[in-house]
Formats: sequence, C-alpha cells, structure tokens
Amino acid sequence: MAAQGAGQRGARDPVQTEIDIRKVSKVFGQGTAAFHALTDIDLQIRSGEFFTLLGPSGCGKTTLLRVIAGFEQPTGGSLQIDGKEVAGLGPNQRPVNTVFQNYALFPHMTVAQNIGFGLKMQGRPRAEVAATTDEMLNLVKMEEMAERKPSEISGGQQQRVALARALAPRPRVLLLDEPLSALDLKLRKEMQGELKRLQSETGITFVFVTHDQEEALTMSDRIAVMNKGRILQLGSPHEIYHSPTERFVADFIGDTNFLELPVSAVEGAEATVTLPGGNGTAARLPDGMTPRPGEKVITVIRPEQAHLVEDGPADLQAEVETAVFFGTDTHVHLRLPDGQGFILRRQNVDHMAEPAPGTRVGLRLSPGALRVLRG
Amino acid sequence: MAEVTAGTERALRGGSDAARPARRRNYSVRRLPGFGVIAIFTFVMLYLPIVILVAYSFNEGVSQARWEGFSLQWYEAAFNNRQVRDVSVRSLWLAVTASGIATLLATLAALGTTRTSRFPGQTMIYALINQPLMVPEVVTGIALLIFVAAIKVQTGYTGMGYLVAAHTAFCIPFAYLPIRARLETMDITLEKAAADLYASPFQAFRYITLPLLVPGIVAGFMLGFVISLDTVVITEFVKSAGQDTLPTYMLGQLRRTVTPEMNAIATLFLALSLMIVTAFFLITRKRGV
Repeated sequence: MAAQGAGQRGARDPVQTEIDIRKVSKVFGQGTAAFHALTDIDLQIRSGEFFTLLGPSGCGKTTLLRVIAGFEQPTGGSLQIDGKEVAGLGPNQRPVNTVFQNYALFPHMTVAQNIGFGLKMQGRPRAEVAATTDEMLNLVKMEEMAERKPSEISGGQQQRVALARALAPRPRVLLLDEPLSALDLKLRKEMQGELKRLQSETGITFVFVTHDQEEALTMSDRIAVMNKGRILQLGSPHEIYHSPTERFVADFIGDTNFLELPVSAVEGAEATVTLPGGNGTAARLPDGMTPRPGEKVITVIRPEQAHLVEDGPADLQAEVETAVFFGTDTHVHLRLPDGQGFILRRQNVDHMAEPAPGTRVGLRLSPGALRVLRG
Repeated sequence: MAEVTAGTERALRGGSDAARPARRRNYSVRRLPGFGVIAIFTFVMLYLPIVILVAYSFNEGVSQARWEGFSLQWYEAAFNNRQVRDVSVRSLWLAVTASGIATLLATLAALGTTRTSRFPGQTMIYALINQPLMVPEVVTGIALLIFVAAIKVQTGYTGMGYLVAAHTAFCIPFAYLPIRARLETMDITLEKAAADLYASPFQAFRYITLPLLVPGIVAGFMLGFVISLDTVVITEFVKSAGQDTLPTYMLGQLRRTVTPEMNAIATLFLALSLMIVTAFFLITRKRGV
C-alpha cells in the first residue's frame, strides 16, 4: 500500500514515473462532427511532484484529467499508473482520487462519513476507517466539524473536506480539477498554501488543473501548457515563464512583449537579430529551429527584462507614450523607432519620477532575455 | 390533465426556490386590477363546498341543508357499517399494493431514462410511460373491460389481480414524474465521486443515489397512493362483483338516499389525504438536500 507519510515517499527515487501517458488521444463524436479533445499526448508525471495542467478553457486539460481518473476512456494510446496499464479500467479500479471543482460532497452524509467513504468502499475494517478519518480531520483542521452536514459548513471548509475525502484512501495520485476556482481571492491564497503543505506532508503526486497562470507558477514543480488538445510546452515554472518556445505559451503566461525582428546571423542555438535602431543582439532559438539570415522572426521579452537607462550605452531608443503607476512598479508604455509597441515594467525602489509622455529614453535589455519563438 | 401533472411535478421538486426564475422586480401580478377579488372568489369556490361537506358530517339530523346540532353519530354509523369497512380496507390494500408496485417500476424506468446515455427512441419511451396521462380514462376503462373479460373467459380467474394491474399501470406515470425530476436535479458528479472513491456501480447506487432519491420515491408512492385511492372510472370498468372500492361504493350509495354518513366517510377520506400530503412535506423538508 501507499506510503504512510512523507518520509518513506521522500526517500524514493525522485524521478520515478508515477503516471506514464503515451500517445493518448480522445475524440468525441465521429466523422466530420468529430472533436479532437486530446491529440497524441505524451506525458510522464513523476512520483511525488506537484504537476499542473495549464491552459484556457476548452484546451483539453480537464479531459486529460478525466482520462487519468477513468471517467473518460482514451480513444487511443496507453496510460499507466504506477507501472500498471489502466486504460479500460473504471474510476473505482484506479489508485487515483479526485477533488472535484464543485467538491461533490455527499449531502446526506456528515463530514466524517464523507471522509470515510472511500475506505469503507475499499472494505477496510471499521476501526481503521475511524482512525484514518480522525487523522484526515486533523490534517485539514476540521475536527470540530466532523458531525456537521456539508450544507452546514462554509465553502472553504467544504474544500478541506473534499481534500480530506480524496486523500483518506491514500491514493497514488490526487487529481484536482480547478478546486480553488469557487473560492474568493483571500481564501484561494490560503488554500494554495494549504495544498502545498498537504502535498509535502503526504508525499502524494498531485495533478492540478487550472486556467490561472499565477496559481500554476506559484504552486507547481512542473507545468504542462495545453492548447487545442495538445501539450505545447512542458517545464518548470521558471522555464515556462522565462523560456517560452511557443507564442501561445508566452502570451498565456504573464505580460509579454512580442517583437518582429530580422535575423542577421545564426550560430548554433543562438541567432543575432537586429533591433530597431540598428544594434544587433543575441536571441536564443528554440530546439530545431534555424532561420536563414534576413528572415524575420518573432521574439519575446518580458516587461521586467528591459530597463530604462539614464546615461551610458543603450540597446535601443524609444519614446514614452504613457506611464502607469501600480505601487510596487510602474508600467511604461513605449513606442519603438519602427513603430512597434513595447511595455516595460520598472520596480519602484525609491520615490522615482514617472517618465513624462513624449520623452525619448534609452532601453537596455537583460542579457540572454530575448528569445525567438517557433513560427 | 397534462397541465395538472406538470404543476404537480414542479411542486414535487421540493419547493426548491433556486430552480424558480427570479421574479422581475417592477412587475407584480398582485397589483393588477381585480387580483384580490378573483383570488378570494377562487378560494371560496374551491373550499366552501368542502367546508359544508365536513360541517354536515357532524349534523345531528339526516338533512344536508338544515343544521340540527352537533353529533358524531354518522361517524359511528360509518364505523359500524360492515360494507364501509370492507370497501375501505380493500381500497387501502389496493392503493398500497398498486402504488408500491408502480413506484418500484417507475424508479427503474426513471433510472433507465436518466442514468443511461441517450438512446434512439427515448422520447417515445417517455410518451409510452406517460400514456395513461394522455389517454382519456374512460377509453382505458373500456379497453380494460374488454381485455379483462377475454382473460376471465380464458382463465376463469376473477380475483383482485385485474384491479391491481389496472391501478398499477395508471399509477406509474404519477410515480415516475417526481422520481425522474429528483434524478434530473441530482448532481451527477456525486455518483462520479462515489465511483472515484472505489464504489462499484451497485455501491454507488446503494449509498449515494438511492438515499438521495428517497424523497422522490416517497413522493411518487404517495401520489400513486392518492391517485389509486381516488380512481373511480377504471375501477368501475375492471372490478368483478364484490370488488367495490370506497369511491365506487360511495358512488353506488348516491343512487339511494344520501345521509350524512356519506359526509362522514368523505371527511375521513379527506383527512387521510391531508395527512399524506402533510407527511410528504415534512419528509421532504427534513431531508432538504
């Protein structure tokens, strides 16, 4: 059976694969009406990691979660959990539990009965069910509410009960389907921390579905960004944020500047592009892309990776259109010499004056920050 | 008939305020001219005859028009009337049996039409299940009369089976509607959650669907019970000799002199119906899930 706590899990090989998804596809309908919800998904989720499926609504992330849970059967490919093929098995035959978006607590049962339900269905002895239920109530700090009905507790408390209920049978994997979307902002922040704590305390693999990029960045060990039934990029929050390889990924996560620039030279994984104003600068290429010199490419740079320079050498010149004060930082909207727009985010360290509209300013780009996107 | 049942179905969804569309703020039917007068007139026409009926069941004399003092003698007469006892017991037994079987079948039908993926001919199935609501009762009655007569000739059986079968068939749609309504408003993810927590399909039904369905089943049973208790036309056509139910017996008695004994029986009948309706509301309110 699954580990009793973090210790045993933590000692395991960190790169052991928990969920192995190969060439999984899911098609709804047939013929011309067919809808490809998932196309050739290849994904290895590691044991004990906090893994996030991120994307806009309709991108297939929830379908993929439902395929892992067993609510949907894939139309192609193979799906292994803990080394065992599970495609074709029902949800009750998989060592996976789900926290539903609307929690789906059983309204006719008490909090304690809800939490004990999975263990009872597994046929565990009554004493074990009671003991584990108490343990789970303690884990989510809901001891006082044990005898309440779900309708008698708050939304945040229902969320905790849903978590405890899904964790009680000690699944290999916990699936979370946008579990925080029904909570208000303050509670959501609180539950984000709570989820991380539960994950590290139990050592269970979490697969988390969200459309909230900030939530994904702050909580995940790794993120898969999905769109139109495909995984576009897979990586750590850092890689996804700083090294997007697709325009969609760069656009979906964080604020972004896209610049269309001509390539002057290519060397290995790096291209030299010409900035407006004539200066050349290095831009990293995505794997397997080699543009010809003279070709125009789309590059990306984050607003905080460009800096205003008072004096000294600048990479390019720009004209200030507006500056919007946000407290901790100021967003400066700029116009480049070739007409392209550019947003720069400046940290407000001291009482810094906002640049006046119409001023000409020099810009310096953080070295290595500029990246070429796959066309 | 169909309008009545649609209304009943709505009422039986358990007074769920959330399901009702929000009333527009600036428009209130109460402010229309004549609203109060029409409302009062409707209530009077609805309840005054019943009030009079109940009042005269306590009349000391035989008159239905002149009050002669308070007495419980007609209740005593009704209780001591063997025939009344016999037909009452038969009516109750028939109502419980027919409504019980109908509720069981209706539950299966409701599960089959809401918990399966859509299948061709599903609308047809709805129509077939609810057919007794559409076909005039007298037509069903005559059809049954001919059909039952043929079977009687073939088999020689003349027991209560025919009445049970006829009442069951008639009760099914009344039991089916509240049960289906309940299943349709039930959150389907609850059953998914049960499956996710290792419940087999049977366990998910036993521990989740069925307990949550109980108010619908109780409502269906009670509705069927009342309908069966009340049915005159079909019983009249199907019954064999000596199989009078309370309503057909009362109808038969009306051909002779009408004494307040009839009022007393009708009042008891009414009290029973009120008790059932009250019980239903209490049950659904307590289980307000």
